Amino acid sequence: MPTSGCRLDENPGFFSRGGVDPRAKVFVTFAFLLVVTSFGKYEISRLTPLFLYPVSITAVSCVPVAKLLRRVLVALPFVLFVGLFNPLFDRQILFKAWGLSISGGWISFVSITFRSLLAVAAAVVLAMTTPFDRLCLGLEKMGVPRVLVTQLQFLYRYLSLLQEEAVRMVRAHALRARGNRPKIRVSSAASMIGFLLLRSLDRATRIYRSMLVRGFDGEVRLMKPLRFAWSRDGIFVAFWTLYFLTVRFVDVPGRLFGWVLGR
Amino acid sequence: MSHHFLEVRDLWVAYPDGTEALRGLSFRLEHGEAVGLVGANGAGKSTTLLALAGLVIPCRGSVNLGGTVLSKQTVGEIRRRIGFLFQDPDDQLFMPTVFDDVAFGPLNQGLTAEEVEERVRTALEQVGAGHLAERPAHRLSGGEKRSVAIATVLSMMPDVLIMDEPSASLDPRGRRLLIGLLKSFTHTRLVATHDLDLVLEVCPRTIVLSGGRVEADGETARIFQDRTLLERCGLEPPLCLQGMPR
Repeated sequence: MPTSGCRLDENPGFFSRGGVDPRAKVFVTFAFLLVVTSFGKYEISRLTPLFLYPVSITAVSCVPVAKLLRRVLVALPFVLFVGLFNPLFDRQILFKAWGLSISGGWISFVSITFRSLLAVAAAVVLAMTTPFDRLCLGLEKMGVPRVLVTQLQFLYRYLSLLQEEAVRMVRAHALRARGNRPKIRVSSAASMIGFLLLRSLDRATRIYRSMLVRGFDGEVRLMKPLRFAWSRDGIFVAFWTLYFLTVRFVDVPGRLFGWVLGR
Repeated sequence: MSHHFLEVRDLWVAYPDGTEALRGLSFRLEHGEAVGLVGANGAGKSTTLLALAGLVIPCRGSVNLGGTVLSKQTVGEIRRRIGFLFQDPDDQLFMPTVFDDVAFGPLNQGLTAEEVEERVRTALEQVGAGHLAERPAHRLSGGEKRSVAIATVLSMMPDVLIMDEPSASLDPRGRRLLIGLLKSFTHTRLVATHDLDLVLEVCPRTIVLSGGRVEADGETARIFQDRTLLERCGLEPPLCLQGMPR
């Protein structure tokens, strides 16, 4: 069964295996998220220079833009839901343009949407340009508890199998249910989820057994050293950190606008 | 090398729900022997394999691998010397890449990085999967997964190979390659399977289980021609002995 829906690391190149160290990418992504979330709730224009980060990484690492957008758009309903009530609660008029009164709620709604899309884009770009095992190794080297990293690895490894089992179960239900497009009733869904859990537990037992017979003693050992090259990874981190700080503390669009108008 | 025998004596295993899966099982494998373990569903094949690796605790009886009796103290050593191939390769391949999976056992044995690399390379080449080293295991075909699963076992350099349904869900070509591979090994081998044609090709000796006991133990060709015995144990002769039209 194809598992293309779960595939995240299919873009080799400058940012993939053998490219920028995953620790550098994780650090820069977190710095980006920190800066994005640190802006005030009515800030929109000053966020725009931050689009340079996901856009440039996408360009350099040859990530297909359509695929990236599809994955970013998956988060859009959640993003819109988060800011949905702002226009209702915050009705203070901030400015008027072309005869329209724009309330603070609408401004903060757009700002939240902007910031969320930026954050999701950065996370998706990180996932699409870094093999998952390298990403996990990077997280572990950065001090994330090993047990958590191992959980992540197992989740990634077995997510597709869980998905396959769920699809098979839904298909079996559809074949025995009435109607052209049978709906799964709540009672059936509860039972199916229960069976899925039991199957997962069975599989977990079998995997644990297969680990035991190969000498597992509680520690998952990996043999892939990461090399942090200052000439490459150091420059990558320094450049983007400096850029984010500049965008955070200097009103880049305002200055550019003023500069253009001044001329 | 004669110390690689595997002896099971009067083994009894019961599951928590009271089911007696093994009821006084006894047999002995000599060094280098390839033995088929056959029987109907529920005969006790899988439980036998689990008990050999100390993955289920017997109520009674003993497992002796080359003079080491299986116990809480020796289970680690026994597992180091037994290579266990599981029925579903997805249960066996849990690491991010094929390389990591094949290296998992040797790393747990405390080998150096160079030794581990050498073991991984040799094991993958042995099963013809050297080119898959950097691939994630869950993107492999069924046949490739099976080959890599065998490599994960070989890289630990076991004395005895025990395999649970190795040909399950393989296509004819994958199955043919597997048979060739199993025949090329010189390890002591115990193959639990419903694929009697595979047993006929790979294992000169067969043990027939029924109801948790050894019903027959002897030369494969002789056992598979005994229709009465096979029927009594819920089996049928292999297809190649059934006079199938060619």
